[in-house]
Amino acid sequence: MEQVVYRIRRFDGRKEFWQEYRFAHEANKTVLWGLLKIKETVDPSLAFVAACRSAVCGACAVRVNGEAMLACETPLDALLERFGATLVLEPLGNFPVIRDLVVDWEPKAARLAEAKPWLVPREEFSAEAGCRQSQAEFRRINAQTNCILCGACASECNKLTTGDDDFYEPFVYTKAGKFVADSRDGAAADHLRPVLARGLWKCVHCQECVTKCPKRVAPAEDIAALRRASIRLGLADNQGTRHARAFAGDITKTGRLNETTMAVKTDGLLKSATRLPFALRLLRRGKLNPFHFPAPVEGIDGVRAIVKAAKEAKE
Amino acid sequence: MRYAFFPGCVLDGAASEAREATVKVARALDIELVELPGWTCCGASHAQDVDELAALAVNARNLALAERLGLPLLTACSTCTLMLRKAKAALDGGLKDKVNKLLAAAGISYAGTATVTHLLWALVGDYGLDRLRARATRPLAGLKVAGYYGCHILRPPQVMDFEDHARPRSLAALIAALGAEPVELASARRCCGFHAVFPAERDAFKMTGAINADALAAGADCVVTPCPLCQMQLDMRQREGKAATGTAGDMPVLHLAQLVGLALGMTGGELGLGRHVTPADHLAAKVGGR
Repeated sequence: MEQVVYRIRRFDGRKEFWQEYRFAHEANKTVLWGLLKIKETVDPSLAFVAACRSAVCGACAVRVNGEAMLACETPLDALLERFGATLVLEPLGNFPVIRDLVVDWEPKAARLAEAKPWLVPREEFSAEAGCRQSQAEFRRINAQTNCILCGACASECNKLTTGDDDFYEPFVYTKAGKFVADSRDGAAADHLRPVLARGLWKCVHCQECVTKCPKRVAPAEDIAALRRASIRLGLADNQGTRHARAFAGDITKTGRLNETTMAVKTDGLLKSATRLPFALRLLRRGKLNPFHFPAPVEGIDGVRAIVKAAKEAKE
Repeated sequence: MRYAFFPGCVLDGAASEAREATVKVARALDIELVELPGWTCCGASHAQDVDELAALAVNARNLALAERLGLPLLTACSTCTLMLRKAKAALDGGLKDKVNKLLAAAGISYAGTATVTHLLWALVGDYGLDRLRARATRPLAGLKVAGYYGCHILRPPQVMDFEDHARPRSLAALIAALGAEPVELASARRCCGFHAVFPAERDAFKMTGAINADALAAGADCVVTPCPLCQMQLDMRQREGKAATGTAGDMPVLHLAQLVGLALGMTGGELGLGRHVTPADHLAAKVGGR
């Protein structure tokens, strides 16, 4: 390979346009090396952000061929092998763009602040005595500590793309979840309520955040942990909780889902009655059999004993 | 080739035609499916939202049952595959002993030998597309098929590592092996919205509609998907999807096994094509069948 092509989506503050840059290939370089080469030798007007070059500051996250990644740590050769000699570079998705590959973090920071991502020490702690925690307690929040706020998890988040007025960026849930799980924090509900009010149950499970995080944080798992915490705190009067409980309940009842009762358990009788046209649509095609009640599976007693043992193990 | 078959809940319910098609196709290809006795719901990521440890232990039981049979576990649902593989990764990653203490209550234990695959992976990886091509007695010439992956068959890649999540090829290769024409779908890796259809109904319908609109614009005769949950969302909720995105035009959505069955010469009736909400039974005639 002689030449590498970066096809970059540019924005000058008013209009958007595509520009192609060609430069000589060199082995064992990074995506960021290519951007710097363009800026230094071809076009000083190209705008992007990069700082540490060590995958800790999170500044250089961009989209390459639709996939968010850190430009500084991603080997160029691996991408050329994966996508061919032309790489398509774009700013992160689901962010307002300031210029070229530079996105605006200001509105994101304001949204993050709503989840109170800071430690609210428990009452027994003081400045003099400090806030101690055990190794095991620290391990519970260690993974989330790795979040460097690069924004990669938000870039291809399917729910965020569809609507962000009722949903946060995945990293917001991760940060909130970290403090809810922190043994030194005494204000779980203060971190939980804002995220519960804005979309905690609206994650669509697309797994893009888990896929894109360069630091092996799993925001989708943090969302699940926050959901469990909200149920534990009694913040359970919502569709999402009822839907999840219907699954858990059916597993101990028969071992398998009962699709017929799912809507009623999730929505209540009145709201599920509004779904009657949908139910009739399924009935007509034989997709819904209201008289099908799954019989308990072979070994259901064992299933119930396992679930009971799991509950006792946690207490 | 023998597998322990994990149908998953929806193949017993609203997607029963997928179960029938899977069983018939496996038989026609001399793939032996032994239904896992006593299998239970994988939790579908929802039970996990209530009690993570219990959901893990229940899936450990599913894996242990497959070990008893001494067969690789095969599912026909992307979410089941993800849940079972995630459970295996957690158990093998250090939770095995803790969970085996819970399984003792049912007199069963997980050794770690279980493997979990999906019908798509079994056909492409284990069976082989050359063999499949040779068995296709009625190649689907002239049929334009859009392969739709959805999420859980690809992501997260650290659990679902069959192919590059950013450039999956298995569906297009399989469609071509059956003699049909693969149609590129821009939204092939986007989410259909199924798992949040209650709490995020508005979003889910937009997602559903966008995928259907994409397939229509690409000129596909039908969409095929390896996930019965995606199939149900794209088929049963197509009307709401169209309303949410302002598109018109029907797009049949097939289960993977149905498309394979058509190429093996099966009739629309045998494959349950008449049981879809969005009509699909005309596709058999389109490829010269009934």
